[in-house]
Amino acid sequence: MGDYDISRFTTVGIVGVPPLAVIRALNEAKVIIHDLDARLVTASIDGVSPLLPKVYCAILRTVVLNALHLKLDAIFIDVGPGKCDCALHVSTILKEILSIPVIRTRNVDVAGCGTPISKARQDLTEKLLAITEGVKYATVTPCQFKSCKPKAGFWGVPPRDFSLLEPFPVTTHIYGWTRCMENKTPADEVLEAYCNPKVPTVFFAQSFCAKTALAKFLADRHPQALYLDVDFTTSSSAKAKVQAFLELSGALS
Amino acid sequence: MILGDFGTSYCKFLNVAEDGSQPTILSTKELPGNLHVDLATGHNGRRFADRYVNELIALARGGESMIAEPEYVLLDCGSRDIKFVAYKDGKLKDMGWNTECGASMGFTIELLEKYYDLDYQKMGAPESTFSVTCGVLGMSHIFDAVISGMPVSEAVARLIKGIALNAYRFCGSPDRLYLSGGLCANPVFVGSLPCEVVPLGRYLLLKGLSRYAEFD
Repeated sequence: MGDYDISRFTTVGIVGVPPLAVIRALNEAKVIIHDLDARLVTASIDGVSPLLPKVYCAILRTVVLNALHLKLDAIFIDVGPGKCDCALHVSTILKEILSIPVIRTRNVDVAGCGTPISKARQDLTEKLLAITEGVKYATVTPCQFKSCKPKAGFWGVPPRDFSLLEPFPVTTHIYGWTRCMENKTPADEVLEAYCNPKVPTVFFAQSFCAKTALAKFLADRHPQALYLDVDFTTSSSAKAKVQAFLELSGALS
Repeated sequence: MILGDFGTSYCKFLNVAEDGSQPTILSTKELPGNLHVDLATGHNGRRFADRYVNELIALARGGESMIAEPEYVLLDCGSRDIKFVAYKDGKLKDMGWNTECGASMGFTIELLEKYYDLDYQKMGAPESTFSVTCGVLGMSHIFDAVISGMPVSEAVARLIKGIALNAYRFCGSPDRLYLSGGLCANPVFVGSLPCEVVPLGRYLLLKGLSRYAEFD
C-alpha cells in the first residue's frame, strides 16, 4: 500500500483490476470506488486531447477524462501484466497533472474466484455490467444467473461502448480478459487466451490496444470467428458485422 | 411484396408478388421521399421500410441462393463500400465490411467516367496499376499522371486496377471470386482482378431479400 493511509480516503478511482488486497483494504475502510475505465462523466472526450494523442486507446482516454472531472482522493492504477504498458504511461501523466496520489499497482493474483457470470444465460450487457461492477468488491456475491450451453462467444475486454453487445444472444459465453476480470486474475494469460472452437466467437479489442494482436491471432486460428476492433463508439457497420456474423454462423437460431 | 436495395448511387426494386417480375433500378438522387417498400436492405434503406435486413446478411443469403458450392468467396463492390463473405465446408468462414478504406470506390469510378467522358465498355484492363488506398485518395494519382502526359483513359484504368487489387486482397485473394454489384458490368474492373471472376450482377442483395420474403 506504500506510504498512503487508506483511512484518509473517502472516494477513489481504480483503473484496470488492482490486486485483491488493495480492493479488500478499500472495502474494509468503506471507501467509495469509481471504476475509471467506465463512462462516468458526460464531458466531451476532446478535453483529453491536450494530454493524450487522439489515436490512443479509448478506454484510457476515458480514464483521463474521468480523472479530470471526478472529485477523487486518490487513484489506484494497475500497470502490471494484468493491464498494459499504455496504463503505465497514463499513470505518469496523471501523476503530473493531478494533485491527488496516483498509486501504481501490479496485480499478479493467481487465486481464481470463479467465472459463473461468463457462462450464464443472460443478456450480455447485463453480464458485462455485473463483471465490471464486481471489480470494486473483494468478496464475490453469488451469481444470480443460471448457466447455459454457449451458442455464441464474446472474447475480449469490456468495450468502451456497450452498444456493441446488443446483437448477441443471451446464450453468449464471455472469454478473454473480461473472464479474467470476473475471476479476479487479470494477468492470467492462459485463461485470457482460452476460447471454445465449437462456438462462433467475436474476438474484440479496442482499436490501438495491444490486445488487438492476440484477438487477431486467436480469431485466425478459430474455425468460426470474427475479429473486430472498435475505437470510441461502435459504428453502424461494426454492429452490422456482428449481427451478420451471429446470424450467418447460426448463433441466433 | 416489394423489396428494395437502397444503395448510395442506385436503388434496386423487385415485386415478388408478381410472377416473372424483373428488378428495376432508380438513381438514388431521384428517389421519391414518400417511397415505401415492405422489406429493405442497403445503408439507406431503414427509412423506406418497416423491415430491414442488413447488407452483409442480404449478400450472404443471395450468395447461398446462387452458388451451389461448399467453399467460395463472394465480394460485393458498391458505390460507397465493399463487403465480402467467405464460406468453407458450407459454413461461414470469414466476412468483412470496409466502409473506410474502400470508401467511395464505385462512386469514384463512375464519377471519373462521366467527368472525363470515357466509355469503360471500350476499355480493357491496363498492364500497370496505381497503388491506391481508396477511391478518393487515389484521384491525385490521376491528376499527377495526366499532368505528366499519360492519356486520361490509361490513368483512370490504372486507378481502377489499383482499386480492384485492393478489393481482391481485402477478401483474402481467392483463386475464384464471385462478384456482385454494378462493377460486374465494368470490363476494366473485372479484367483487373487477378483471379477467375464469376459476375453475379447487381441484383444479388434483392435475391437475398427474396429468401426472407419466402418465409412470409
